[in-house]
Amino acid sequence: MSGHSHVDGQLPHEPEKATLEGRNKVLGFWLFLGGETVLFGTLFSAFLALRHQVLDGPTEQELFSLPLVAAATLLLLTSSLTSVFAIQAMHNNQVKAMINWLIITVLLGLGFLGLEIYEFYHYVHEGHGFTTSAFSSSFYTLVGFHGAHVAFGILWISLLIAQVFKKGLNVVTAPKIYVAGMYWHFIDVVWVFIFTVVYLMGKVG
Amino acid sequence: MANQPSAANNNGRRHKSEGPQKHIIAFIFSILLTVIAFAAVAAGEVNETFIYIILIGMAILQVFVQMAFWMHMKDRGHIYPIIGILFGITIAITAVVMAQYWVWW
Repeated sequence: MSGHSHVDGQLPHEPEKATLEGRNKVLGFWLFLGGETVLFGTLFSAFLALRHQVLDGPTEQELFSLPLVAAATLLLLTSSLTSVFAIQAMHNNQVKAMINWLIITVLLGLGFLGLEIYEFYHYVHEGHGFTTSAFSSSFYTLVGFHGAHVAFGILWISLLIAQVFKKGLNVVTAPKIYVAGMYWHFIDVVWVFIFTVVYLMGKVG
Repeated sequence: MANQPSAANNNGRRHKSEGPQKHIIAFIFSILLTVIAFAAVAAGEVNETFIYIILIGMAILQVFVQMAFWMHMKDRGHIYPIIGILFGITIAITAVVMAQYWVWW
């Protein structure tokens, strides 16, 4: 069966695994996520080692506001759920529903990014710049890297939505959407550790 | 079209389609773990070590739930992904522990 066309609009049940190329993409992406884990692990280790070195700058307890972090967490967690719904819609061959869920995912991601930009802007006005202290540098590097991942994910998924509009859902586009969904879940998983280690542990002391 | 899988009579869904229920349960579970973590900090004035243990425990549980259900790690045929990501996690944990050890002990 040709990998690029389907005669009567029928896709296999899991189109992302229908071709060897698709399966290899998924496996390769898992290995990439292993590398990403190492990247964030080293950023976390730097932050944990330096988080009490505040010099004259504000401390964690003075800076962080838990309601803002809770709102950001809720947005990102919900966007992870909507992206899993998009993959389910893809498995049921409901292209319209899939695109709608992806759009909701992107919007929630934008909301999260907006909150983070507001938060950083606010911190800089409190005298917590990138070069204020070892704590501030490691904080912005870790949380900023995560924010950059969110921004990249938004761009990526938006482009995929455009591509599905143009080319439709087939065994070539399906693995891309599946892999982008995995990336989005990974971002959410990293955020779980960020709100735990940076914000909650920061509030404890 | 002899090699077309028997799509005509079952609308292309040869496998049982999974419903959204288990993902909603995973979502509610994640929210619950998050709320417990936030509440433990908001309550305050408890033993610090105790709160740290709760926080880390909730985070690990939540990551486990999300990776198992949302990233499909509990599904069949995920042995190589699991090896890959475990390798990354091992190096990440080593980095965190050793940085703490070398800097502060």
